[in-house]
Amino acid sequence: MKAFIVSNEQLQNDYYRIRFDAREMAAKSGPGQFVHVRIDERNDNILRRPFSIHNAENGMITVVYKVVGTGTERLREKLPGDSCDLIGPVGVGFSSPEDDVIPVAVCGGYGAAATFMLTQRTKQPGVLLLGARSAADIILTKEYEERGFEVKIATDDGSLGHKGRVTELIDRLLAEKPGKKFFFYGCGPHPMLMALAKILKAKNLDGELSIDHFMCCGVGACFGCVVKIAAPETADGWVYKRSCVDGPVFKLADVYAE
Amino acid sequence: MADLSVDFGKFTLKNPVMTASGTFGYGMEYAEFYDLSRLGAVVVKGIRSIPSHGNPTPRIAEVTGGMLNAIGLQGPGIDKFLHDDHYLPGLKKTGATVIVNMWGVTIEEYAEVAARLDAESDGITALEVNISCPNVKAGGAAFGTDLKLAHEVVSAVRNATKLPIITKLSPNVGNIADFARAVEDAGSDAVSLINTLSAMAIDINTRKPKIANKFAGFSGPAVKPVAVRMVYEVSRAVKIPVIGMGGISTGADAVEFLLAGADAVAVGTANFVDPFAPLKVIHFINEYLDKNGFKSVAELKNALIV
Ligand SMILES: Cc1cc2nc3c(=O)[nH]c(=O)nc-3n(C[C@H](O)[C@H](O)[C@H](O)COP(=O)(O)OP(=O)(O)OC[C@H]3O[C@@H](n4cnc5c(N)ncnc54)[C@H](O)[C@@H]3O)c2cc1C
Ligand SMILES: Cc1cc2nc3c(=O)[nH]c(=O)nc-3n(C[C@H](O)[C@H](O)[C@H](O)COP(=O)(O)O)c2cc1C
Ligand code: FES
Repeated sequence: MKAFIVSNEQLQNDYYRIRFDAREMAAKSGPGQFVHVRIDERNDNILRRPFSIHNAENGMITVVYKVVGTGTERLREKLPGDSCDLIGPVGVGFSSPEDDVIPVAVCGGYGAAATFMLTQRTKQPGVLLLGARSAADIILTKEYEERGFEVKIATDDGSLGHKGRVTELIDRLLAEKPGKKFFFYGCGPHPMLMALAKILKAKNLDGELSIDHFMCCGVGACFGCVVKIAAPETADGWVYKRSCVDGPVFKLADVYAE
Repeated sequence: MADLSVDFGKFTLKNPVMTASGTFGYGMEYAEFYDLSRLGAVVVKGIRSIPSHGNPTPRIAEVTGGMLNAIGLQGPGIDKFLHDDHYLPGLKKTGATVIVNMWGVTIEEYAEVAARLDAESDGITALEVNISCPNVKAGGAAFGTDLKLAHEVVSAVRNATKLPIITKLSPNVGNIADFARAVEDAGSDAVSLINTLSAMAIDINTRKPKIANKFAGFSGPAVKPVAVRMVYEVSRAVKIPVIGMGGISTGADAVEFLLAGADAVAVGTANFVDPFAPLKVIHFINEYLDKNGFKSVAELKNALIV
């Protein structure tokens, strides 16, 4: 579907926010789902690029992206009034938190974009635990705070917040809020998610993780984006599932840690 | 309006545009975009006797002008394919013309799958015998790059089914026309080409191959000239119909194949870029025929001026 660009502006450093006019798509979108974007019609870089839906208010789809290569570089050059072809919303997103539960988003880098819409779906004020290499990659914290989320930060180099891994913030959170019920939402690099899954399972905590892989068709047709999902009933104990349509969000119990 | 139908002898397609196996899932994935019965045929992803995991990841990489894939034929196996609503039963309900792409790791398995499909052939128009996947060790390249084995496997399928068979040829051979002749001799009712070209890409930062399988199949716009040449050669080597594919993303690309000698075409990688690509191709062919005074798509087969 052709969608016109309403705005495309820098958030900080290599991070940008783009808004598409896409009323019908926005009405159907939820946290954890993504849009599959054909940035332009070129014959050299042909494939679409997937981006989490950061927000879907006012008939607009908002995406927060980091410029990392040719496609995102070309996306950055787009101006209001230009258009892209969007497929979406794609995929299984995050479930809405139960009324009595504190949602905790545990994110790495641009993963913070994918969990943002949880801020609109929760009764209890939530928590964002956000990790990145350094302060330059810590994004969207003000937006979360404006929506009533408490934000805790960890950076590898200690340039902002706790020096260390984002998963190390979980113990502190549990200690600060004894007796509360939590539900965890994870989105970030694969090693971070695997570590998160291990910690949550060990502590008997529940949640959902967005586990994705390079995508090609984005509609479930090519089997290029598969991830290993636990299948205890099978001989291998796992099966490959398509992260684009069977995920990207999977229940913690279904996460397969090798 | 020109006559778009294509006569394959044992069956007829309403128009010459199908989807290439592996690039259109099991059809249902695209049913939400448009009415699948508008296509000449839906060719589903390769089916074998048992479920298979496919290859480890990463399985895909973008390269200039196309992509590499080493999916390794992940699939549900024949039982699920025949009886689960996500597969054949669901696809049949859309009214689509269905061609089933199939494979095995032994000649016996090819024959077994063909026999199973023969026994439950309701709603299946033809089989496409894949002897050319570069991404599985046995069953793919092994059969499609050895003239004797290619003949044997197609003969075995021929003996196992009355359904029309299309043999999918590998471009990774010295002389593709020899393979076309061999499978024609073995009883194939048509040939389709090309499957993907064996290829490789390396990430210079990690110094690892971009695809876990190391080698992968190259497809997309960049392979078109190779495919057109092969279709030209094959269409002159055999009497059976030829289905041309490889890099078709526009109607103009498809007309090139039809002029080179193809009776029909398939749209592959372009589906990933634009789900509506096959419909746009049908529309363009129709206009091209009218504009240039052709009464039927069949006339293009002999319209090349050399
Ligand atoms: C479900 C999903 C949601 C995503 N959401 C966001 C988002 O909200 N914001 C955002 O900035 N990015 C997001 N990404 C990643 C984004 O799709 C890639 O950064 C983008 O495709 C890179 O395109 P490029 O042409 O600029 O880079 P390329 O030139 O293709 O590659 C540059 C670098 O990016 C890496 N890369 C390429 N494709 C992907 C990919 N699909 N996933 C991860 N790394 C990749 C490559 O390994 C390479 O190192 C998401 C990816 C997925 C699968
Ligand atoms: C992701 C992917 C999966 C494929 N899977 C199959 C398959 O299962 N069986 C088969 O015969 N060909 C398969 N192919 C080959 C295509 O059907 C087609 O022959 C090839 O991609 C060339 O056409 P294109 O350039 O239009 O994609 C696959 C191709 C791609 C890109
Ligand atoms: S990207 Fe094609 S199946 Fe997921």
